[in-house]
Amino acid sequence: MVLLFIIASLFFSLSIFLFRNKILTRILSAAYLILLVALSIYAYFHVNQYDSVYYKFDSLGILLSFVLCLLSIPAFYHSYLYLKRHQSSEKDKAVYYATLIMFITAMTSAYFAENIPLLWVSIEATSLFVTFLVFHDHTKNALEAAWKYLFVSSVGLAVAFGGILFLSIIANQSGLTSLSFDKLLLVAKHMDLLWLKISFLLIFTGFSVKLSLFPLFAVAIDAKTIAPSPVNALMSTALVNVGFVGIFRIYIILSQTEAKDWAQHILLIAGIVSIFIATIQIFRVKRLKRLYAFSSMEHMGIVALGLAAGGIGYYAAILQLIFHALVKGGLFFQIGQIRQHFKSLWLKDSGNYFKINPVGSFAVILGLISILAIPPSGLFISEFLTFKALFTAGQYIVVIFALILLTVIIYNFVHFSFQLLYNKIPDELVNQNIKINPYEAISSFALFALVIFLGFNPPFFFTDLIHQALTVLN
Amino acid sequence: MTDLFITFYAITLIYFALSERVKKFIWLLAIQGLILFGVVFFSLHKIELFDFIFILVETLLVKSIVVPWFLDEVRKRNHLKREHQPYIPVFYSIIIVVISLIVSFMLSDYLHNDQMHTQYFTVAFASIIFGIYFIIIHKNIFSHVVGYLIIENGIFLLSLAVGSAMPLMVNLAVLLDVFMGVLVLGIFINRVGNTFKSVEAGNLSKLKD
Repeated sequence: MVLLFIIASLFFSLSIFLFRNKILTRILSAAYLILLVALSIYAYFHVNQYDSVYYKFDSLGILLSFVLCLLSIPAFYHSYLYLKRHQSSEKDKAVYYATLIMFITAMTSAYFAENIPLLWVSIEATSLFVTFLVFHDHTKNALEAAWKYLFVSSVGLAVAFGGILFLSIIANQSGLTSLSFDKLLLVAKHMDLLWLKISFLLIFTGFSVKLSLFPLFAVAIDAKTIAPSPVNALMSTALVNVGFVGIFRIYIILSQTEAKDWAQHILLIAGIVSIFIATIQIFRVKRLKRLYAFSSMEHMGIVALGLAAGGIGYYAAILQLIFHALVKGGLFFQIGQIRQHFKSLWLKDSGNYFKINPVGSFAVILGLISILAIPPSGLFISEFLTFKALFTAGQYIVVIFALILLTVIIYNFVHFSFQLLYNKIPDELVNQNIKINPYEAISSFALFALVIFLGFNPPFFFTDLIHQALTVLN
Repeated sequence: MTDLFITFYAITLIYFALSERVKKFIWLLAIQGLILFGVVFFSLHKIELFDFIFILVETLLVKSIVVPWFLDEVRKRNHLKREHQPYIPVFYSIIIVVISLIVSFMLSDYLHNDQMHTQYFTVAFASIIFGIYFIIIHKNIFSHVVGYLIIENGIFLLSLAVGSAMPLMVNLAVLLDVFMGVLVLGIFINRVGNTFKSVEAGNLSKLKD
């Protein structure tokens, strides 16, 4: 089924790219989205079943593919608005949509991949496609961001590939002929710990580009600052989830061995260092997108802390990942609307947004409350559970340090957001006569509302899928 | 026979440290591709015929012909002749290559494993380390791609080192990485060359807040 989906996406993408016809592009994009949703629903009804030898519909993949569906639909709508505002040529539009479709397909393939090489290939493919999307505007900055992103993630992924090869040594020793996750899990207990640790370290380093976590976070931040906002909304959410899938699946293998504590230490260090760097960097941001990008890094730090804590922390980590994806998507979808009102990209030259666009500002405020994990946001629950798990694990110093850092982040985040909303700026910095599209904020409101709903009244199938994803760990 | 090839491979790494001409980098990459072809030809014949032919074609065609040819086109287009003063003088670079080889020897001795081909592992690891070093010391993005390809060749050798029963999947991965990676990176080098009129990495330092 996934293979069919990939073939169909290739066909759609090529048709859009070759024909460059407005109506055809719209029809094919809509058809693609229907297909994407259909695949997720199909996966849900075939949970824990193999799909050809290469894919498996496991609970984590299903959850994240639903998140991807929820984000892709508004992403296409906002892309349409973005391209219209920037008066892109038909050729640019066709390239954009064709690449966007392949980007989403590559992420879906990564979620459901059942063996490590395929997961790696899918992640590599996401890098290639996202690079073209980052470069969409063809400016010097876009070129620099695209180049750096492609180069560093290629090198990072090469390093991760080294890790995969090390893993294949121990798989060979255990008599395995393929690097299937299920088979690796079965023999995990008898694996050579030294090799397992080396491979985890290399894979973690490589995939940290995607998860925007320490050590290779910097290029992702730059790319997110430059990319078109709908692309950003996917890069900071669904693509980050791809990185999580990569690291989580290897972590599960390690968790079956005595190297579990060691791996948790690595995650703890990466998590806390990421939050620390994000805190320092947030002081210096001058653009809204960069602020949001560093906020993603902070949230992924919390996810890593959740994994490091274990127990209820695992549940919290996945919850945090999903809620962060939905909220951050909503925030990035607002950026396109904000940008059209101001002449400059810099935060210092934007302000008074509350007067200019009250509905949009309301979305920004709601997003602010949600992302800062202030109740009723669902993120409050996931962060609360993470810190509870850390306390239970006896990591008091880490908890206190992280809470102090989060307080600083909250202060800065509110400071910059209020600057945008209430700062008095001269009229000549504001684009006059911009027609406000009231539908543009709907997607953000819907996503924020969903996070609140899922936080306080999670439906059974949602919690059940998370629990299923964690059965091996507990 | 394979030991000879592996030694040649290590020598190419030293040559990389020695050279400053961009054209020479491309030649050395082509030679590395040929050496890898030789290694595969003499060591991998126990695997399935289809896989064997696939890997042979990949090393010969992609690594030693297509990629160097493509890089040469990129080089001509951007009028690249000589790497202007790397950050670290050639003399020190040679010392560092040698050190990286020695460290790899010691490491592979420490990690000694029945499943692993020690000689391959040594040179593969040195190649990866040297590739990263090569990226760091050079100032233009073309050389960065060359460094990336040295890492890739190291990874390829590593995949030979860790077992003769290499799944086809791993191969496809390497192929995708080299082929697509180089193609896309090459396109972007041309873009950078057109936009900034040079491919110095120093041009690409505007993304700060």
